Amino acid sequence: MNERLQKLAFSPLLVVVYAILLLPVVIVVLTSLTVNQAPTIPSDGVSLEWYVSLFQNSQMISAITTSTIVGICAALLAGTMGTITAFGFVRSEIPYKESLATVMLLPLMISPVIVGLALLRFGSQVGIPTGYVQIILGHAVLTFPFVFLIVRARLLTFDDRLEAASRTLGANSLETVCNVTLPILAPSIVAGMVIAFVFSFGEFTATQFLVSPETTTVPVIIYTQIQTGLSPEISALATVLVALALVAGALGDRIQ
Amino acid sequence: MRTITVSSAALPRPVRRFVSPRVLIGIGLLWLSVFFVVPVVYLLFESLNFGDGSLLANYEQALQAVYRQALYRTFGYALLTTVLTLLLGYLTAYYIAFKSSRPFLLLTLVLLPLWVAIIIRFFGVRLFFLSSGPVQQLFGTDFGIMNSRNGVILGLMSALLPFAVLPIYNSLQSIDDELIHASRTLGAGQFQTLRSVIFPLSLSGVIAATLFVFILAAGSFLAPAIMGGPSNFMMANVIEEAQSYSVSLAAAMAVVFTGSLLIVIGAFNHVANVSEVLGDL
Repeated sequence: MNERLQKLAFSPLLVVVYAILLLPVVIVVLTSLTVNQAPTIPSDGVSLEWYVSLFQNSQMISAITTSTIVGICAALLAGTMGTITAFGFVRSEIPYKESLATVMLLPLMISPVIVGLALLRFGSQVGIPTGYVQIILGHAVLTFPFVFLIVRARLLTFDDRLEAASRTLGANSLETVCNVTLPILAPSIVAGMVIAFVFSFGEFTATQFLVSPETTTVPVIIYTQIQTGLSPEISALATVLVALALVAGALGDRIQ
Repeated sequence: MRTITVSSAALPRPVRRFVSPRVLIGIGLLWLSVFFVVPVVYLLFESLNFGDGSLLANYEQALQAVYRQALYRTFGYALLTTVLTLLLGYLTAYYIAFKSSRPFLLLTLVLLPLWVAIIIRFFGVRLFFLSSGPVQQLFGTDFGIMNSRNGVILGLMSALLPFAVLPIYNSLQSIDDELIHASRTLGAGQFQTLRSVIFPLSLSGVIAATLFVFILAAGSFLAPAIMGGPSNFMMANVIEEAQSYSVSLAAAMAVVFTGSLLIVIGAFNHVANVSEVLGDL
């Protein structure tokens, strides 16, 4: 079979795969521009009225604010703990290191429903304040493995001689870490934190257990609206989220 | 570059000793223990019945036929999703790695949806099949997607395809071209080359993809909640529902579910090192 025919044979498959992957996002953006009351693909004219009503809705604005605060705090916490732990794992030899590294990745493997429920029950038992504190802790636990994996991967290819050179030139350990090690690692740490932020901004499953009425996040609003009635306003809100995530993604890519 | 000067004399000796790599591991373990391991273990405690009746009374309830079915359904759906997603994912990765003239573009388009929150992607799938959506407007039927198993599987495939394509593409990409040439030179046809050279060498990617897709599918709450009906609820939904009327029952189901998932992961760890597999992400 010649090469062109083979490529042709693949095309139905590719159409299906890319349709499944991309069309769901495309339709969300399209329906946010509709002039109808229902989220339909605009056929007779487009309008931005749903964005206007979105930004006049104080509940939406407050959710966007909450999600931003939570995302930033969770990303900072996950970034700090992920970097510290990755350092520890790469730079020391302890028994059962491999098994412990797998434990560090468990938040990725266990269903977020369990993580949310566990944090809610345990938190109320030991008095972790509900609302922001619980949500931020939950998101930091869920996103910590991303930072850990990315920083660990970077540390594994780290040229130790750079640090040795720094010491030889008279710097002490702390100076070496601040002037040599961290600057080299910074892009990986930031990339991990960007992923953590985007993940936190979109996380619903664990969050639904932890939100209080004053700390409702964007995905919780989207979910409630999907369940109760569909207004194109959710499409507009979701589109804002998509735009934000893509900007963050592009930033993260450039940094790394 | 900005230089931070820290006089070593300014730091007391105990502080410098304190920041050894082992201590860093300790901080990491403590952090994850307090906010993750202990809370999950606390669910185990909450699932036990310290009142009248058997200590495991909640488990008797959690293993009732209706909840057992939900457990089977969870693993059944996860398995079905894994098989279909891997099939599509492998062919796509194969095309990108060996046939495409624009591999970078195709790969970027696979990864792009990962930046979009999963709830939005499920919402998008639903928008397609709503009564006001394009499919029903065009064909007058939703093809049995709305509120059904097929809808849940379609949603999961849409969400998880990148996790199949990416590791398989990486493993295909790292196959030495010389091996493929050698196979062809020695007279193997294209299909035989695929079967006896390319596929075996891409197994690491297939294993990683299986692990990702299966685990994420099994733990999904949103796919059944948005695309399925109550008869398609998976364990995550059942636990969330039970939580509102009986926390101890929800805890018992959480333990059963997490336990069985960990057994599957453990079995998997036997075939391939999970930590290494995830590390290649």
